[in-house]
Amino acid sequence: MATRTVAVARPSSLRRSWFRSGWAILKGLWVTNRHFMRNLWGFIRRKPTVFTVQFPEERLTHPGAFRGHPVLVQMDNGKERCVACGLCEWACPTDCITIYPAETADEIERHPKVFDIDMSRCMFCGLCEEACPEEAIVMSQTVEIAAFSRRGTLWHKEDLLVPVDQLRDTRLGHIRQSYDQ
Amino acid sequence: MPTITIDGAAVEVPAGGMLLPAILEHGVHVPHYCWHPKLSVDGSCRMCQVEIEGVPKLQIACNTPIRDGMVVRTNTPAVENARRGVMELLLVNHPLDCPICDKAGECLLQDYAYAYGSRHTHTREPRRKLEKRKDIGPRMILDQERCILCRRCVRFCREITSTNELGVFNMGDHSVLDVLDDRPLNNDYSINTADICPVGALESKDFHHKLRVWFLKKTPSVCPSCSNGCNITVQHHRERVWRMMPRRNDAVNETWMCDHGRLRYEFVNDPGRLRQPLLRRNGALEPCEWDEAIAFAATALRGAAREGASRGVGAIVSPHLTNEELFRFAQLLHSVHATQVEVAVRMGLSDNFLIKPEKAANARGARDMGLQSAPGGAGVAGLLAAASRGALRALYVCGPDLVETADPQALDNALEHVEVLIVQDVFRTALAERADVVLPSLTFAEKVGTFTNVTGRVQQIHRAVTPPEGQPNDGEIFSRLLNHVSEARWTFEPTAVLAEIAAAVPSYAGITFAAVGAQGWQLPDPSGAAAPGATH
Repeated sequence: MATRTVAVARPSSLRRSWFRSGWAILKGLWVTNRHFMRNLWGFIRRKPTVFTVQFPEERLTHPGAFRGHPVLVQMDNGKERCVACGLCEWACPTDCITIYPAETADEIERHPKVFDIDMSRCMFCGLCEEACPEEAIVMSQTVEIAAFSRRGTLWHKEDLLVPVDQLRDTRLGHIRQSYDQ
Repeated sequence: MPTITIDGAAVEVPAGGMLLPAILEHGVHVPHYCWHPKLSVDGSCRMCQVEIEGVPKLQIACNTPIRDGMVVRTNTPAVENARRGVMELLLVNHPLDCPICDKAGECLLQDYAYAYGSRHTHTREPRRKLEKRKDIGPRMILDQERCILCRRCVRFCREITSTNELGVFNMGDHSVLDVLDDRPLNNDYSINTADICPVGALESKDFHHKLRVWFLKKTPSVCPSCSNGCNITVQHHRERVWRMMPRRNDAVNETWMCDHGRLRYEFVNDPGRLRQPLLRRNGALEPCEWDEAIAFAATALRGAAREGASRGVGAIVSPHLTNEELFRFAQLLHSVHATQVEVAVRMGLSDNFLIKPEKAANARGARDMGLQSAPGGAGVAGLLAAASRGALRALYVCGPDLVETADPQALDNALEHVEVLIVQDVFRTALAERADVVLPSLTFAEKVGTFTNVTGRVQQIHRAVTPPEGQPNDGEIFSRLLNHVSEARWTFEPTAVLAEIAAAVPSYAGITFAAVGAQGWQLPDPSGAAAPGATH
């Protein structure tokens, strides 16, 4: 096969590229200095113009579509809505969900005896929520999963349950809205 | 042999049969619910309809006799439309229970709904409300709403067990599967109805809400609970056995297995199992290293062997070990000049179908490997009597069956006169408490090998569950003991040992794992009197 050579025009002048990168550095410094001066001026006038959120004390409210860590929906009677069908366990790409089902005397005869999520492996992808036929596992608004040991990142059923009232306006509302469309 | 045309391919099929098995045998899948290879034809589900040239309407393949020159089509638009219609009718009253139904994942209704059904229904009426979770027997529950009235279970109870517990009551749209109040589903084979149920209507209480079936890994094996050797699949997940299901083998168990065998698997998962050898120190059994235990047992055996026949080695052989392990055991006992060797087998109830009296998988194999005195010999009682006279210095008890077969008084007497008791078992039993050294044994689900059933069919077991790191199987224990008591170097590799068996045991000549395969290898029967059940 005959090969064809194409001459590509490249910036030949080293001096010109020096000039370009120098200009970019000055531009960046200008932006930084502008914000610094503005913040400094605000600090002096006691009217802060900063938009940094002071995280643990201050928190942003996220839109309903925000995907925090997954939680289990707790019904008004205090029980979980989950029937331990295992679809989230199957859908989970990181294998972080472990469920052992058991029988109950309720009308829905099945519930999870064990429902563990290894938060150190969870990647907040939301596939469990998508797989769930019962709206029983949803993504929450929080992302804080820090713990002092690896054992602490293994969340059990009790740690995961969140009352349905807290979820209705946020993620549950978003799911229902997006599925209705 | 008649020749028929299936989807354009000319196929020779056996005469006198029905169309459906011939089509399935040919490799074309025609969906069906009520037809089962081991039951009579019912023709109630209407799912297996096919088009036959010259016949004006679609015919159900399961109840259409084969005629020479038939031209059958299984995938025409008319057939697909009929299947879609049948699926819609079957789903009219089927509850949307899949998330909590144990059958989900292996449910024919679910599979066929995806493959052949439509996504819509024309009915607006509410679904039938019937009894759910009905307790119909000690091992079974019934969900009447899920039932699609294929009557497989009814025919099973009529034709296979002849107990007639299940029946379809009422007529037409009111038809419902049920049992009579005073006759629960309580036969020895009741859980087979859950296997053949194409939906989740009949469920075994043992597996009810235990695990989703798609997590289970399936390993072909042989049931260890009696000498019939029913072919099974061991279904396991996270190094735990969750259930055992029959595997088809027309020469042994067809497609059935008894409830007793099926429900006996929990011992494999038992956290209280022996995992470390125990050695008696200062009067008490203490955990020790494997090398230490093996060395102690070997020294005891060698010491007894040196004493000669008047005060030598005796052994009770476990009928739960594989042929390969038993062969190594025979070699070990030979090299320590064992004087008394017997197989202890627990006996139990039997019937004339699958359940055999000997409650161990490999009693026949133990005898074939030469581990029992001649027929009509003294037996276990004779061995214990000899021990009570002081004729045995060391006794090697393998397996749990001795305590249940022997007279307790005789056993007590015998153990008092034995200087060294070596026990090899899965659990720390009462007998193990009296031992000087206890060697943990592995179960059928954790090793590879062959079992010989009562009719002389050699069948293979596979490893389903991985034993803890460093725990040897029984064959390796015998090999390590042999390394101590003899000059040669011994290892345990099932394939190599089976080759040794083929060379050493005349009736096993020519046997290999490949020849045993999935369906077993029948021993030549010199007496010619094949036991019932042996057809090959």
